[in-house]
Amino acid sequence: MNPHRISAVIGKESREILRDPITLGVAILMPLVMLFLFGYAISLDLRKAALGVLDEDRTPASRALIEHLTSNESFYLGRFLNSAREIETVLQRNQVDLVLVIPSGLQESLLRQEHPDVQILVDGTYSTTALLAAGYAENLVSSYAAAPPEGRLRLETRIWYNPSLASANYVVPGLYAVILLAFPPLLTALGVVREKETGTIQSIFASPLTSSEFIIGKLVPYSLIALLQMLMVVAVGYLWFGVPFRGSFAFLVAAGLIYVFCTVGIGLLVSTLTRTQLSAMLLALIVTLMPSFLFSGLLFPIFTMPALLQLYSGIFPGRYFVEISRGIVLKGIGIDIALTQVTVLAVYTLAVFFLASWRLRKKVA
Amino acid sequence: MGTQDSDKWIIEAEGVGRCFGHHEALSRIDLQIGRGEIFGILGPDGAGKTTLMQLLAAILDPTAGRCRVLGFDTVRDAAQVTARIGYMSQGFTLYDRLSVDENLAFSARIRSVPDALFQQRRKALLQMAGLESACRREARVLSGGMRKKLSLCTNLIHEPSLLLLDELSLGVDPVSRRDLWRMLRTFRAQGTTIVLTTPYMDEASYCDRLAFLHQGQLLAVDSPDALKERARGQVYEVVTARQEEVQQLTGEYREIVSGQWLADRFRLQLASGKAPSEPLRHKLEALGAFGPAAPDLENTFVQLTAPPTDTGSTPEQTGFESVQVDGTDAITARGISVRFGNFSALKNLSFRVAAGEVIGWLGPNGAGKTTLIRVLCGLQRPSAGEVHIAGVALRSAPMAVRARIGYMSQHFSLYPDLSVIENLVFFAGLYGLSRHKRRDAVHWVKTVVGIEGIDGRQAGDLSGALRQRLALACAIMHRPAVLFLDEPTSGVDPLARRRFWQLIQLLARAGMAVLVSTHYLEEAYYCHRLGLMNNGRLIALGTLGELRSALETPLHTADMETLFMTYMARASADEGAIT
Repeated sequence: MNPHRISAVIGKESREILRDPITLGVAILMPLVMLFLFGYAISLDLRKAALGVLDEDRTPASRALIEHLTSNESFYLGRFLNSAREIETVLQRNQVDLVLVIPSGLQESLLRQEHPDVQILVDGTYSTTALLAAGYAENLVSSYAAAPPEGRLRLETRIWYNPSLASANYVVPGLYAVILLAFPPLLTALGVVREKETGTIQSIFASPLTSSEFIIGKLVPYSLIALLQMLMVVAVGYLWFGVPFRGSFAFLVAAGLIYVFCTVGIGLLVSTLTRTQLSAMLLALIVTLMPSFLFSGLLFPIFTMPALLQLYSGIFPGRYFVEISRGIVLKGIGIDIALTQVTVLAVYTLAVFFLASWRLRKKVA
Repeated sequence: MGTQDSDKWIIEAEGVGRCFGHHEALSRIDLQIGRGEIFGILGPDGAGKTTLMQLLAAILDPTAGRCRVLGFDTVRDAAQVTARIGYMSQGFTLYDRLSVDENLAFSARIRSVPDALFQQRRKALLQMAGLESACRREARVLSGGMRKKLSLCTNLIHEPSLLLLDELSLGVDPVSRRDLWRMLRTFRAQGTTIVLTTPYMDEASYCDRLAFLHQGQLLAVDSPDALKERARGQVYEVVTARQEEVQQLTGEYREIVSGQWLADRFRLQLASGKAPSEPLRHKLEALGAFGPAAPDLENTFVQLTAPPTDTGSTPEQTGFESVQVDGTDAITARGISVRFGNFSALKNLSFRVAAGEVIGWLGPNGAGKTTLIRVLCGLQRPSAGEVHIAGVALRSAPMAVRARIGYMSQHFSLYPDLSVIENLVFFAGLYGLSRHKRRDAVHWVKTVVGIEGIDGRQAGDLSGALRQRLALACAIMHRPAVLFLDEPTSGVDPLARRRFWQLIQLLARAGMAVLVSTHYLEEAYYCHRLGLMNNGRLIALGTLGELRSALETPLHTADMETLFMTYMARASADEGAIT
């Protein structure tokens, strides 16, 4: 490998990118757009669910329970129901998200120190919110059911790393990984294919430049752009979304650098496999953008997936970086804990690089 | 390492073939090219020229045979080959957003040319190519000729011992072509071996040796002079100016396989091995002095490729009704100017074109030919001036004008994935023909251009000649009053070119006005009048005879190239005098 030839390719590539301000602008803007859209849209918090109430007891005790449930951020009193028949109607019409049924005799049995039952019916159409709503409601009901008697075991729950359970804290660091898997390959994939379309690649083939020199020359400038994108989204995440930053910034940048080399490499690999810009773009979307949502653990924890899909998710580098970036940002972990993930990413990057160099075998057909 | 036979042969190909799927692009090519030769590979589009060049450049592996370049095997030692050659691929392969200097520097750096040497060569090359003043401009703003010259420079910066040039002068104007050849000769004198492909016969005759490539096979390899000799005895000429009657004869007598207008005479080629038949001889003698003539490369190509039975079908005349134009001029243009910011693309052009007239527009790249056609088609609004097409003002009724014009681009804008008939029906739909009329129009146009019986074939699979005729069919289906042809014959073989021109003349006789832009100067002989353009100005307009005698020192027998160069030189001198 000849460093002068590589630097020639890097210089040429950088100039071309810088002189195409529109593409560069899109490259910088798109990740931000995505961060804002998803940072706000993907909220796993439950806010203001409408609670329907069928109160068959109508005592101070039942009113106190209703008051307890609706005097917080999570629920508001949507509707009073008069009979059990109405329950189905209001749920079908989406007038309420869940219904609290208080049978008659609540106050009496409470006074008798018994354990009376109340029922909560949840609209399970959106399973995630349903589970959350059910969980919140359950907590509230049990906290109402009088303080436990003295002397018994008392459970005290503390949530670490994300005590407010704010989804932004959870989603945004995951988005760092997803965004860097979604956009840099897209931009890069066009880089080689464009040369195929204009025919300049033939001059490259018919020159002493080796395919690995060419790939490195392309990899470096696009990775720098990707690194810039990463710094940008991390800054916005910290400053705008108020996501905490507990770990080492240097470690995040170092791990991020490996990661962007990897994702940019995937873009290059894609472009060695395709002939037109359109097919390169579609292939890049399929191998990066789509799985980056499903199989990175951004939204759905990987450990809950079926074993086969867990294995499948291992193909996509996003998964490892989601773990790294969440770990650094939320838990403040260091290289000692993230060693496995970093190693996997590094090996992955090398594999992608060699595969791309091998595919670009300096022949037109 | 290079062996001793590399001293003799720079390139040796033994039984080289290349298949793409089932398609055999090249078969059994045997070729030896010696040190210091300028070797030309001549053939129409689709003959396999590019495939052969890619094989020689070691960027494509043969599927049969083997090839040694500079003593290295192109498969085993591909890296050795690519490190030592210069290869200019087809088209304009430069980095558009890099400047002239940056393109050169990139090319030098990936070939590890030392900096001092680079500076020295850069200066010499830019000077030779006349690009010194443009060295900071981005490649995308250069004209076609300048881009080609820059491409050549980027492949000369490491002074390779072998230079492979694919389609050296495609899309390059005659002036730039001269510059390119001057550069080639300079480097040949220094010992560089040059292999180039070209569809141009005149360019091919500048080579030391020449290979005719046709449908993937080498038909002949020899010096241009020896090749010309092969057609001796088949070529005759008649000194006459009576174009109409000559056209009639070529249509009538199928033994004439090819014809060409020279300055004051018509050259014709007869089917190989035949002397002119008695009635033909009589008719030709009646036209003017008639006798045998020296053959040229085109004659040999025709002889080698024309099957003895196919004597070149002429366009079908039956069923062809005239295109009606209501008495007015087909085009009247008064004082058209087009300005893009500070740049004047067209400067005050005025001319008229009568119905049934064929006008050829000639001029270097960037002279304004394309802009002019865009204005006349209503695609570009002129900054000043007025255009009437078939009596309709372009400014006030652009849509009405669109229905009266047909346009065929040099890229044959067809849908390659649609079949012939689907292309035709689609264009008929574009012109807004009703279902009933559409069927008639498609039928009519197929007979006229002679593309019957290939309805189901995909447009992309057709030969260059058939695609050209299909593109023409798509452009004339609505029987326009004016037809614009933008370099319609580039890359088509000579026989097909001749048939195409017969078709154009047939359309013109039916009343269609035809405007053609072309780089093939010999095609000027098919046109009634010629418009010469330079720098956005119409510097001359008239018949060939008028153009010849209008010069201060009339060049009565000058060929088209000399005439063109003289006018261009005069125009540049005038511009110089003004500024």
